[in-house]
Amino acid sequence: MKAFLATINISFRRQLTYRAANLSGLVTNLMFAFFRASVFIALYHQQTVINNLSVKDAITFAGLTQMLIGYLSVFHWYEMAHTVYDGQVGTDLLKPLNFFLYWLSVDIGRAMGSFLIRSLPLFVVFAFFYDITLPQSLLQWGFCMLSMLLALLISFGWRFMVNLAAFWTPNAIGIGRFAFGLSWIFSGFYMPLAFFPDWLAQFSRATPFGASIYIPIQIFLGNVQGGALLQSLFIQCFWIATLWILDHIILGCGVRKLVIQGG
Amino acid sequence: MQRAFSTLKRLLSIQIRSQLQYPLSFIMDVIGNALILGFYFIAFTFALSQFEGISGWTLGEVAFIWGITEFSFGVMDMLFSGFDYDSFGPVIRKGRFDQMLLRPVNITLQVLGSRFVLRRLGKVLEGLLIFIFGLSQLDIHWTLIKILYVPVLSISQVLFFGSLFIIGATTTFWTMERLEILNIFTYGGSEIMSYPMHIFPRPIRLIFTFLVPAIFLSYFPAVFILGKSDPLHAPKFVSFIAPLVAVLMMFLALRFWHYGIRNYQSTGS
Repeated sequence: MKAFLATINISFRRQLTYRAANLSGLVTNLMFAFFRASVFIALYHQQTVINNLSVKDAITFAGLTQMLIGYLSVFHWYEMAHTVYDGQVGTDLLKPLNFFLYWLSVDIGRAMGSFLIRSLPLFVVFAFFYDITLPQSLLQWGFCMLSMLLALLISFGWRFMVNLAAFWTPNAIGIGRFAFGLSWIFSGFYMPLAFFPDWLAQFSRATPFGASIYIPIQIFLGNVQGGALLQSLFIQCFWIATLWILDHIILGCGVRKLVIQGG
Repeated sequence: MQRAFSTLKRLLSIQIRSQLQYPLSFIMDVIGNALILGFYFIAFTFALSQFEGISGWTLGEVAFIWGITEFSFGVMDMLFSGFDYDSFGPVIRKGRFDQMLLRPVNITLQVLGSRFVLRRLGKVLEGLLIFIFGLSQLDIHWTLIKILYVPVLSISQVLFFGSLFIIGATTTFWTMERLEILNIFTYGGSEIMSYPMHIFPRPIRLIFTFLVPAIFLSYFPAVFILGKSDPLHAPKFVSFIAPLVAVLMMFLALRFWHYGIRNYQSTGS
């Protein structure tokens, strides 16, 4: 546990040292948030609410999705796969720390750092420009934070699994590109799922991708409450358990067949 | 000139052959790419179906400019892969650029031939399908000028995006790292060019008119081809200066590129 926390801490501090890169990412994501918000404003025109989603909610959605890019590493994450290809994985497996937990702590540290200096300032600046929807109560803020944390654990679960492909194929990044692409489709990252046909929205929400991006946003906007909120959190926990168990099984198989080229 | 051309052809054919070594994986990559990128458009159609057009533009009209922009960006992303600032950083850092400078072949040509990402065909294909879909939805009043202007516009866009890539690659001479902020103009530029640009607020429009003149390569030409009224009340001739703007951008980008090379100081590693 001590090593776990220490790794989070180091990874967190490492993320904070890339100041220019973080700032550059922040400005980029912010501009894209403006682009998307403008599109929503033009779409709504004189209408106010579509399928329970107001124009204010849609604008907030634009800010939230861009904010999550850094935190959840939405576009790519191949750090672990690279260690398999360059042999670093050999030393990592020898560490007196569970391999899965090691990468989990690295990713939590990275995400926390990114959240603090990239996501949070982005959303605050965004809120200056637009009238946005905010959680109505302290309790809702709390649930929202909890859901965002669970979202990270889900997201790590499937990103780690994609990286595990590196144990078998030299083209894990090609597979990864496809997996990340699926995540953009089903997470409601492109457009709010409220605009989607019902069956597709329901399906997307139940995938780990929807559970890691759309559910926290729904909670933030106050679109799920009471029983539905608890159900959403339950879906998130379900995916964490499922993905993590699968990760362990696949990792076990991978380690058994891993061959590291001597240097 | 002819020798240069045959060198480039040789470099590119090697690239293509090596990427086709695993045909199945390649085809999957292309189709996967097209589906994933295409879904953004499908998501937009879902959204649009809930409303009555977007600021006076129909789905078909948006598909028209969306398709051309995606197609051109895809073609550019393939032709100018060598200048992709995401991958040019490592070229500088690992000293591969220094190696190129030592060879007795034009440096721009070498960079152009150093990388050719064939799987971008996915984006090209996706753009083409969206464009065809757009045409099927529209009843454009075609004239000879309009028919000729569509390919000219696409080539202009390729040059325009290519010039942004060259500028991006040049900045890495100083920064050594890719500047993510440039994505605002490249990927962001192609995103806002996919929408009728009058929907964006004035500050964004001004940036994409005077700093990076994207509006002349999508919105204004589309106003002419689709016969739309222009709420921005721009003079009529701006619909036709796309090739001029593109050539000028490419000229400036190459000037900057050569300036960068003259002042290039390697990493010493």
